[in-house]
Amino acid sequence: MRLLEYQGKEVLKSLGIVVPDSRVANTPEEAYEAAQELGGKVMIKVQIPTGGRGKAGGVKAAATPEEAREFAAKLLGAVIKGYQVKQVLVEKQIKVQKELYMGITIDNRHGKRVFMFCEAGGMDIEQVVSKSPERLLKVERGAKENLPEYQIRSILRQRGFSNKTLVGLSKIASALFEAFLKYDLSTCEINPLCILEDGSLVAADAKVEIDDSALYRQKQFQNKGMDTPDELELRAKEIGVTYVKLDGEIGILASGAGLGMCCIDLLADEGLKPANFLETGGGITRELMADAIELVVSNKKVKAILISLYGGVNSLLEAAIGIKNAKESMEKQIPIVVKAIGNQDVEAWEILREAGIDIVETFHTERAVQLLKEKVS
Amino acid sequence: MSILLTENTKAIIQGITGKVGSAQAKWMLEYGTKLVAGVTPGRKGQNVYGLPVYDDVLETVEKHGANATVIFAPAAYTKSAVFEALEAGIKLVIVVPEHVPVADAIEMREAAKAKGAYLLGPTTPGVISPGIGKLGIMPGNMFKQGRIGVISRSGTLSYEAAGYLNDAGMGESTVVGIGADPVIGMDLPDLLQLFDEDEGTDAVVIVGEIGGTAEEEAAPFIQKMKKPVVAYIAGRMSPPGKRMGHAGAIIQGGAGTAESKNEALTKVGAAVAFNLLDVPVLLKKAL
Repeated sequence: MRLLEYQGKEVLKSLGIVVPDSRVANTPEEAYEAAQELGGKVMIKVQIPTGGRGKAGGVKAAATPEEAREFAAKLLGAVIKGYQVKQVLVEKQIKVQKELYMGITIDNRHGKRVFMFCEAGGMDIEQVVSKSPERLLKVERGAKENLPEYQIRSILRQRGFSNKTLVGLSKIASALFEAFLKYDLSTCEINPLCILEDGSLVAADAKVEIDDSALYRQKQFQNKGMDTPDELELRAKEIGVTYVKLDGEIGILASGAGLGMCCIDLLADEGLKPANFLETGGGITRELMADAIELVVSNKKVKAILISLYGGVNSLLEAAIGIKNAKESMEKQIPIVVKAIGNQDVEAWEILREAGIDIVETFHTERAVQLLKEKVS
Repeated sequence: MSILLTENTKAIIQGITGKVGSAQAKWMLEYGTKLVAGVTPGRKGQNVYGLPVYDDVLETVEKHGANATVIFAPAAYTKSAVFEALEAGIKLVIVVPEHVPVADAIEMREAAKAKGAYLLGPTTPGVISPGIGKLGIMPGNMFKQGRIGVISRSGTLSYEAAGYLNDAGMGESTVVGIGADPVIGMDLPDLLQLFDEDEGTDAVVIVGEIGGTAEEEAAPFIQKMKKPVVAYIAGRMSPPGKRMGHAGAIIQGGAGTAESKNEALTKVGAAVAFNLLDVPVLLKKAL
């Protein structure tokens, strides 16, 4: 889960990292008042959980409180990068001498945490790094290892930093790394990290992401961030399945992510377009299955459904009853083709057959796709 | 012959008295797996399908010579279950649970490597050596004894891959679910090497999916292998930037696409299948 910028900055502040003075505004009037309090010259930044806000027109520099109100009125309620803007951050402008990049992420392949630093921060960091990768400093750390200040000092000294700035940078780096471990973060970036004229450091942005699987033990972050703007994806979360909306008209339900992706590939090969990706995971009950099908057909473009299931940890009997119940409560009948293989498959087929649902009695997903193609053409 | 799960494997189930643990114990026993005991703290003296239950892993090592474990614990307790097994000297740890915090996975991975143990998962269906046994949740009837090794990130697709191999009369030596999480216990080269050295395996099938760089990074190792490798990457038609179910299955910043994986694998001489259906055809050509 990605925190909104102002929430991320609250985390940074709690670590002793300086961020520009700011207020969150929900209305243009609040933005006006905030700008007045902050001295007039402010940045207006939309609070949505995604990057590239500046390039998408979501960040504006206002010279006066009136202008702040005007920008806020334009941005609040607007849809930027798929998200409806509900809040803007009104932030005091700072005089920047140099923009740096600092971040921590996880190298999944090697199971390490990686501290990253680059002298060229700002909006084009990705271009800079892809053009000259050597400019990105990387320091790897294993499980439970920290990144003490003295280590950062000796690394950044070799990059030409000294005195107040060097000490400041190493303090920030070390605190950030500690927080990364403590809060189960999956990404933490300050871009840009600004050097001011007096050599002091200010974090002008904050990208903080928490590992979703660790939210149960990071309760302070629950209900932060912003929900996906897609209503169907939200509903899927409630049901307990993974749903990704796509552009086509064939609904897909699969009992595994790999199988779901494979279904998309096979449908595409037959010239059929998937309306969604839906993975049930290993906790299929009749209710979950029926809810998931209802979710898939609530997308009115869906004109047929492909279901591909394995009975390993999942009960195919429960799945079959769920599919039958969903079919019975469907307003408009559309073709459903089910492939279900594994423990208790014969019993599951019996239920499906009696409910008048087309089944494929082998593991071959492509046969289910073929059958579905016949049904829709 | 087979890898990881062999005739010498004596396995336990951690979390055996739970709903999933006991149901899966039954399926594993029915498949003929050599299970020796189960563990649930506080339940010593109970009995699950004839298997004695203990409070801790070490006692199963002392009394039954256990050397492998399948873990069915809630995600929040998975790390401690893994550490208990590793410290008791267990050398094969199957981590079935999903939604384990990545920080915990990093610790487990490091601890297993330090102990010289093999760790599959988190989010793995487990491992099956047809004819010997299965440690995990895969449906046993999807597999047949044979001489093809299979490594899969996805559980369901490993079943599907085995189906096509069986159709072609080939069968599997061992099918390994490596785990679908971002950070997992073993790397592709670790498993490729085991298969390359296994007398019961003639060729290896990698069933991958979009996201990450595991397949790309395994390429140099594949080049050095004696045995042929055939690969299939699921998700070539999936849109970038969307997480397709598995936490690791996402195309980010242009990396992790099916094309980049296919290109890296083709370059080192692995045959890349467009669909799973084509895997046996490519295997026959390579053998």
